Amino acid sequence: MNTAGLRFLGAALIALVGIWLGVKFHLGRHDHEGVSVPAGVASVPYPTEDAALQAAEAPHPVIPAKLPDFSLADLAGRPTSVSSWSGKSLVINFWATWCAPCQREIPLLRALAAEWSGRNLTVVGIAVDHADKVREFAGRFKIDYPVLIGEQDALDVAAQFGMGSPAFPFTVFTDQRGEVVALFVGELHRPQADFILSQVQSLNQDRIQLPEARRAIAEALSALANKPG
Amino acid sequence: MQRSRTTAWTLLLLVLTLCGAGAAHAKPWWMRGIESNDTDFLPPDVAFRVAARLDGKVVKVRWVIADGYYLYRQKISVKAESPDLVVAAAELPPGITKTDPYLGTQQVFTQQVEAIVPYSRLDAGAHPIQIKVTYQGCAEAGLCYPPITKVVFPSLGLPAVAANVPPYPWESAAIVAGALAFLLAGLVLRKGRKLDIPA
Repeated sequence: MNTAGLRFLGAALIALVGIWLGVKFHLGRHDHEGVSVPAGVASVPYPTEDAALQAAEAPHPVIPAKLPDFSLADLAGRPTSVSSWSGKSLVINFWATWCAPCQREIPLLRALAAEWSGRNLTVVGIAVDHADKVREFAGRFKIDYPVLIGEQDALDVAAQFGMGSPAFPFTVFTDQRGEVVALFVGELHRPQADFILSQVQSLNQDRIQLPEARRAIAEALSALANKPG
Repeated sequence: MQRSRTTAWTLLLLVLTLCGAGAAHAKPWWMRGIESNDTDFLPPDVAFRVAARLDGKVVKVRWVIADGYYLYRQKISVKAESPDLVVAAAELPPGITKTDPYLGTQQVFTQQVEAIVPYSRLDAGAHPIQIKVTYQGCAEAGLCYPPITKVVFPSLGLPAVAANVPPYPWESAAIVAGALAFLLAGLVLRKGRKLDIPA
């Protein structure tokens, strides 16, 4: 290509950049239309079939490095601080009685509580629901690990784990130093739980560092999620 | 010649850089996973999009449901929010039967669903029509959202169009950027012509 050709190509590229910038900002302007309604009111246009594909990016709240201190009522209504399990590894499961995947998890959580009880690990359920419903439910499902209950106060606790727009179930794993090792959103299954707990165990025995454990968990969860069947 | 080639490569790099900057809001792969709260699950307002419009004597409320998500039929309700509005029970199509070992048999909706809600007004339109919709759903992959309640202004038959939107401040910047780009392009071409004139 001769010099003139190259210069023409360069000029064309600059012009394209200008057009690209113009289109980008123009689209940005339309993204902000329709917001002139009172706060708290839905302002989406009548959705079309492909509207769900125009998904806004989900927020990326950061999970705390350390288990935050919080206190909620237990099944008997007594205020219970999470620090009462200080020095233990915790599996903190957030759930609600109306949530089918939360119900499906309970046999696994009961099994984990039994299997790990002698290894300085406690399973704690946090039910974001009405206390009477939770008590009835806990009896019917024979939940034998500690359960804390709350409504707005439990939602505030969920927000401390980056789940300000809550969805259930989700499960927080901490090591015995109170470091948050993993946060698993969605229904927990045996392979995921076993792998995360093996890493928690390695951390407790100082055989691995936290970043390494987190990396291994992220890779393992990704591999399990992509596993066929 | 060498200088022209360098200029072309520089410009190409500039374009690639700007394109990359456009995609920079997406989180890079090395930051995903356990360090943050990234999941494959959608926020509820993206998983379930709702809007309403007036169609004669009914309000039509439509939910568009993302792939892999569903809404419970029995958890959908539509109520009047504005004081002069009276709405009848929402008419919903039959859903898909879903059987859960714990919750039993449920009717659910996937993809999209439209509720027909007959309405009447007591004061001939002194207040804007507002309805309150409640719905609840889950992801097939094992995540459920708490019941969501929203106040919705039904649009008037046509897709909602925002009116009186103040000028977006970036618009003028975009025009200036475009104009500058064309000016720069012209200068580059002009410079090229001058260089090609034989002495």
